[in-house]
Amino acid sequence: MNESTPAIQMENLCYSYGRAEAVNNFNLTVRPGRCYGLFGRNGAGKTTTMKCLLNLLRPKRGNVRVFGIDPAKQDVAAKKRLSYVPDQVAFYPWMTIRETFDYLASFRENWNQKTEKELLDRFRLDASQRTDALSKGQRTQVALIAAVCPETELLVLDEPTSGLDPIVRREFIETVIGAYQEGHPGSRTIFVSTHLISEFEGLIDEFTIMDAGRAVLTLESDHARERYQKIRARFSEPPPKLALEGALHVQTSGRELEIIANGAARSIEDHLRAQNPESLSTESLTLEEIFVATLKS
Amino acid sequence: MLFQISYKSGKPIYLQLVDQVKAAAASGALRAGEALPSIRPLAEELRVNRNTVAKAYSELENLGIVETQPGRGCFLKSNNGALRKDARRKLLITEIDQALVQAHHLQVPRKELLELIQERLEALEEKRRVNKETKNEEA
Repeated sequence: MNESTPAIQMENLCYSYGRAEAVNNFNLTVRPGRCYGLFGRNGAGKTTTMKCLLNLLRPKRGNVRVFGIDPAKQDVAAKKRLSYVPDQVAFYPWMTIRETFDYLASFRENWNQKTEKELLDRFRLDASQRTDALSKGQRTQVALIAAVCPETELLVLDEPTSGLDPIVRREFIETVIGAYQEGHPGSRTIFVSTHLISEFEGLIDEFTIMDAGRAVLTLESDHARERYQKIRARFSEPPPKLALEGALHVQTSGRELEIIANGAARSIEDHLRAQNPESLSTESLTLEEIFVATLKS
Repeated sequence: MLFQISYKSGKPIYLQLVDQVKAAAASGALRAGEALPSIRPLAEELRVNRNTVAKAYSELENLGIVETQPGRGCFLKSNNGALRKDARRKLLITEIDQALVQAHHLQVPRKELLELIQERLEALEEKRRVNKETKNEEA
């Protein structure tokens, strides 16, 4: 296995539930060591994509590879390399946290007990508690510990923080950054699907926005924020209609103008400046704003 | 030192960290021999990717602004002259040009602009002087 083998590769992935197409010719490549975000609205096909990756669903067409392995053919070999936190966490209700970890660790070649202890302390969890007595937030914390301790090369997170309170969400992300990325940051890959984009903003190197089963935009986060800019200008009189190339969205309100630019911010600014605005300011869109701008246009 | 990340500046995150260390070094907020925060706690606190912080630190090391002592951490170097003179000028010219364009656009005349630069320079020197005094009092 060489360095350049992608952690995840999907080619022309298709999946349908009966006649309803959920994923349609979807392509995505996640390089090792990266944190990759999959963004989409409810029903965009994120979870179906995740399930194809985890071999919980068989793609109707196309390929899925995890470190070059086809999970449909070599289920165990692929699963060895990854761990997973689902959106709906379920454990055997009669087991305690301790028993749950022992049970899960029995399937793993490696289990970092030091990390387990640290995270139990951090989350203030009592390992002797039965899992059916846990709150939703605690259940997610247990699932996260169980995903971090095997120290796999790939961590798959499916809507991990939805429905959790802000403190738990914050701790969750800090744990992914701290405990998971700790070992070998260069070879720890994270694949996260979410619509709570702003929380993961700093973590995500690269992302794909998915809509109606298709990839509509794939970009590096830094590059995206450089490319998508919001320009505001105020004039002494209501501005004339300007033909602005590269403007994704233009909104006028009295003497003010707001433009969402996609890659052409500089030339739009020059254009506006030529009209002698009273004020002119530019700021980048956050990933969440890019998401909204992309899906609304 | 404390960092502040903005996702609205359009500047890559690692570069924001680099620039903030440079600014802190220039203003005296960070002194020679003082340590930068360790990568893991800083990444957790800012909730940014560890690799982003690591990239910023290695960039600072390449620029000769900090040095990494294995097992101990990352420290501000004593000679900030490590940046070659023309490299330093180049860094500054970009920033100055931006300010000049902005001044033109805000219709600030040349004389006023030069006065403003003078004024800011004095303000920075004053800040450095205060920082130095605090240091002496501590010692």
